[in-house]
Amino acid sequence: MTLIADRPGPGAARPYRFPPVVRRTAAGGQVVAAHLPGQNLAVALLLLDVGAGQEPVGKEGLSGVLAKALEEGTAQRDAAAYALAVEGLGTALSTGLDWDSFQASVVIPVDRLSAAVELLAEAVRTPKLDPADVRRVRDDEATALRMDWANPGPRADAALRADLFGAQNRWGRPMHGDPESVAGLDVEDVTVFHSEWFLRPGTLIVAGDLDRIDLDALAAAAFAGTGGGPAVRGGPIEVPLHSERRIILVDRPGSVQSTLRLGHPSPHRAHPDHVAMTLAGTVLGGAFTSRLNHLLREVHGYTYGIRGDFAASRRFGRFAVSSGVQTAVTALALVEAVGEITRTQATGVTEDELEVARSWRAGQLSVELQSPRAIASALTTLVVHDLPDDYHARLRESLLSADVDQVSAAAATHLHPEALTLVIEGDAAVIRADLEATALGTLLP
Amino acid sequence: MPDSGYPWPIQTSRLDNGLRVVVSEDRTAPAVAVNLWYDVGSRHEPAGQTGFAHLFEHLMFEGSVNVAKTEHMKLIQGSGGSLNATTNPDRTNYFETVPAEHLELALWLEADRMGGLVPALTQETLDNQRDVVKNERRQRYENVPYGDAWLRLLPLLYPPGHPYHHATIGSMADLNAADLATFQAFHRTYYAPNNAVLTVVGDATASDVFALADKYFGALPARDDIPPAPDGRNVPATGQTAVESVSADVPAPRVYIAHRSYPFGSPGYNVITVLATILGSGRGSRLYQRLADGERIAQPDLVGAYGVDLAHAPAPLIATATARPGVSGERLAEGLADVVDELATVPVTAAELDRAKALLSTGWWRQLSTVDGRADLLGRYTTQFGDPARIAEQLPALLGVTAEQIAEAAADVLATDRVTLTYLPEETS
Repeated sequence: MTLIADRPGPGAARPYRFPPVVRRTAAGGQVVAAHLPGQNLAVALLLLDVGAGQEPVGKEGLSGVLAKALEEGTAQRDAAAYALAVEGLGTALSTGLDWDSFQASVVIPVDRLSAAVELLAEAVRTPKLDPADVRRVRDDEATALRMDWANPGPRADAALRADLFGAQNRWGRPMHGDPESVAGLDVEDVTVFHSEWFLRPGTLIVAGDLDRIDLDALAAAAFAGTGGGPAVRGGPIEVPLHSERRIILVDRPGSVQSTLRLGHPSPHRAHPDHVAMTLAGTVLGGAFTSRLNHLLREVHGYTYGIRGDFAASRRFGRFAVSSGVQTAVTALALVEAVGEITRTQATGVTEDELEVARSWRAGQLSVELQSPRAIASALTTLVVHDLPDDYHARLRESLLSADVDQVSAAAATHLHPEALTLVIEGDAAVIRADLEATALGTLLP
Repeated sequence: MPDSGYPWPIQTSRLDNGLRVVVSEDRTAPAVAVNLWYDVGSRHEPAGQTGFAHLFEHLMFEGSVNVAKTEHMKLIQGSGGSLNATTNPDRTNYFETVPAEHLELALWLEADRMGGLVPALTQETLDNQRDVVKNERRQRYENVPYGDAWLRLLPLLYPPGHPYHHATIGSMADLNAADLATFQAFHRTYYAPNNAVLTVVGDATASDVFALADKYFGALPARDDIPPAPDGRNVPATGQTAVESVSADVPAPRVYIAHRSYPFGSPGYNVITVLATILGSGRGSRLYQRLADGERIAQPDLVGAYGVDLAHAPAPLIATATARPGVSGERLAEGLADVVDELATVPVTAAELDRAKALLSTGWWRQLSTVDGRADLLGRYTTQFGDPARIAEQLPALLGVTAEQIAEAAADVLATDRVTLTYLPEETS
């Protein structure tokens, strides 16, 4: 035999060192930066304290339309000139939204960072927002959402969210809105939202070689013309669990796969069980080697993949499982998935599984120390959730020290298989009878 | 910015069995990327065996002589690592990024499946992964609007018998017919050390990696009769345009215009890369300015142009646009063709050229900002061009492209053999 049979053990462990974090107040705003010596690329990210959660009910998608409208011309130049200025530097304005925050960022060689931040601020702080442009962007966004909603997934996601959190609440509606909510926006919605939220200073996040970056100059550009205090943050929202399992069927005639979205509400981000829940979710569905993927993909071949996790924002969270399974095995796959969630809740995790989960989560923190983009993302977590500079090092220790009892207790407490909502987007004519026959829950009309 | 496109060290070695080993040390993060390029892809598949190279890639995760089924994933993830593999027409690659102290484990796992897969391969595993791949095909190509565009473009661009004629995912019929003996033979034929490049980038020294490579891979036998894929370098021009119109469950008309250009790695392909950026990358591109912003016939998020980086035949150049509501597929196709054709008639300005080069430059550094990004490129340049150091020439080559070269390439590539693929919503066609 030419192969070496003995599996090698690990070499000497490298220390985990998150880059030095610099925090300062400058030009009326907060700057949070990480020093990456020798790095050619830099990231600047303007983080605003306004997320989808601040959009009024019925106005879902407002932030997305505003984000696109920012690039339709500014106080200084028209849309084409703005595009050429930004892209001539070799970058693009990248925007993102979640429930808690809005971000606009640039990734660029460090010697051009200040010019890029000036252009970023120009768009965020002084967009022209010409009414005709805003209406066109709104129509384009509605069209883009219709395109997206023609794919499997968005309708199932929306059905699950509405059932978990209630469509009367903003957090019970899609984060990015739907084609109808966006089509219904008017120009004033956009301009008022901008003046209310986008002229507050927010936080400038920078990841790069700080020896080659003038943070004060970047802050002066990013915070020019801003005012107003931080938004009032609401406390955690109590979301009741359903008293029994239910099935929602979203028809997709002719579909060769069924899209599964299973879920229930779970605690908010600051809950003390956050780390233990993360690990329980990892064992159940968070990694390729997790229970759900092993059973449905590697044992049964029902799917290309299935994932499940706990996700949390400042005010609420949810446990969810998602997959696409072959139409003919939809009911079988659903029974297996619910069975595995039930088993995990009832009997917890094993040391063998937990060892993989905590090593993976902890090791990923090391792997993610490479790029400025990843470091900027880690800094964003610190700001959004009010975490200290040594958070990632502490998180690593918490992950590595979590034991079977803690993680099994989190699974027992925070998984609710009997309260699951099971959304299936698929060919109703083919799968309805099979779903009813599973007796997994009441099939809602 | 450094003058070179690759300001990190590169050290190479070749084991006696032909395995090429490339190391690029970087101590910035306590992580190391391990990447294996095998010089086998769907271009090697004979008729009746489409999809086999990719299905085989799945089997490589299912256990080998000293690694139990599913243990590969468990060991890498249990070390804190990320891992995956991809197959394309040209090659198959396997890669993991792990905390640096687990480098030796990653090499052991890769060696075990390079040298010891066949005895562990079972009918049960094949049947299971065949089902997984069929679900992958449904999920990626069949169940999403426009999902089969690539499957339709390839046979329009490359004639029957050409190694790029069929798509890597393969046909359901061929996947159903796959038998165990074929896969055992596939491994024996192509998964030899002299048909692979091992690249390690990150927190490791070259001498340590060379010693470990020799320890784990050194005794694997070379194979001296690895059959080449069919030669696809010359694709005779037909002088014809190919037009395919598909009526499907799609939300809006969409048009693809495609041409064969030059192989990846050639000077011509570098010109095409800059040309495609001018044509279709970003809000300052011609397609965006003309179709999305100017005539407003295309959806702004869905215009684009790109080369597909295949190295063994003239590679595709593709431009695409999707209609705004109320715009017909015919009108969109005309508008798209006009902008594409103008590449040969309306000279590229200095501002257009500078914009494209700035975007490509940032894109290059982003790709190199992670150890796995660097490992993949080093493996590519070693496998396809025999020399990892060629990586340093790539960015300067892109930055040296001139407007005259773009005009020449546009006139050459766009002159003949245009492929136009149009999707129309079922109810309007």
